[in-house]
Amino acid sequence: MSSSSPSGSGGDDLSERRGIPAAKFIQDVETYLSQSGFDSNSALAFHQERLQQYKVVEMKLLAQQRDLQAKIPDIEKCLEVVATLEARKGTGEVELGCALILAAYLKTFSLKVLISMLACEIEHVVSQNIVLASLEESTETSFKSCLIVTAEHVVSRNISLLADFEVSEGIYSRACIEDTDSVCLWLGANVMLEYSCEEATALLRNNLENAKASLEVLVADLQFLRDQVTVTQVTIARIYNYDVHQRRVKQVTPTAIAAADA
Amino acid sequence: MMQQGKSSSSGSEMQVTWEDQQNINTFSRLNNRFHELEDDIKFAKEKCDNLEDAGNELILSDEEMVRFQIGEVFAHMPREEVETKIEEMKEATCKSLEKLQQEKESIVSQMAELKKVLYAKFKDSINLEED
Repeated sequence: MSSSSPSGSGGDDLSERRGIPAAKFIQDVETYLSQSGFDSNSALAFHQERLQQYKVVEMKLLAQQRDLQAKIPDIEKCLEVVATLEARKGTGEVELGCALILAAYLKTFSLKVLISMLACEIEHVVSQNIVLASLEESTETSFKSCLIVTAEHVVSRNISLLADFEVSEGIYSRACIEDTDSVCLWLGANVMLEYSCEEATALLRNNLENAKASLEVLVADLQFLRDQVTVTQVTIARIYNYDVHQRRVKQVTPTAIAAADA
Repeated sequence: MMQQGKSSSSGSEMQVTWEDQQNINTFSRLNNRFHELEDDIKFAKEKCDNLEDAGNELILSDEEMVRFQIGEVFAHMPREEVETKIEEMKEATCKSLEKLQQEKESIVSQMAELKKVLYAKFKDSINLEED
């Protein structure tokens, strides 16, 4: 890119940003033209060229921005899927944990407890046993008050997740996804790696953060670029106006002299 | 892209100060952000409407297992879970829609302010309207 010619600078914050030269703001067109030795036409041509270069860079940055904006929802979708798989896997332990807490509560307060399970199938026989054992203990106490504890809404657990996925346009197939500790992530370049669920979540979150950060930087670059485009356009307009003004003055003076002579 | 044009005046020497230039730059930025916001709002509104329709369909249907889209696949899920998820998504989308609309309003008022200032200084030499 051609270096910017010396001119009355308006105090630009940066002289360039990531390879994009800043457009110097001109305080006074006349001073600028005399200092730089340009005449109006060449100054106009120079600034027009600058404008074109800015436009080219702008196109590039916009394309990058579009790519990033498409990538981010993709990563979010992947995160959602991994989170769902993890949640499915996790319900078993949660149920057990709840039942254990329930048993401890019963033991401490020795209340006769009536547990009514809502319409859900608890497939953990273990947890059922723990709850039943506590019930037997509490019936021995003399407390008459009953506490109806309703089990929290428990997701009816199917061991495997059924999912319909697209095989081809308009054709879907069913997949039976077993509970698993690991997922495979497509890293691009024909590479797919297997990760544990936690690692996968961490990696995807990292990618998402990076993508969002790059997008922010890109947006800032675009704003800077647009500012420079605006400054250049205004400069072109001012030089043009100055030129028109000069021509008009030149036209007036000879006619004035001609009128005086006549 | 930038809708404002700078029409040349009839040869009058209008001095442009650095402050004016910065005002023009700010106006340009706001204008761009305004158009981006309009697109975002349209998108968010569509999403909100879709979720609303999905919720209604769910109420009308009486299947126990509903296929809920996660990413690219449709997972079989019990109805209540799907209901909860749709509620959550609706809330989140509506909230973000509200935020976007608030930002849009603030931008519109800022642009109106700047228009006043710039028109006061430049009168006819500047055009800040949409084409």
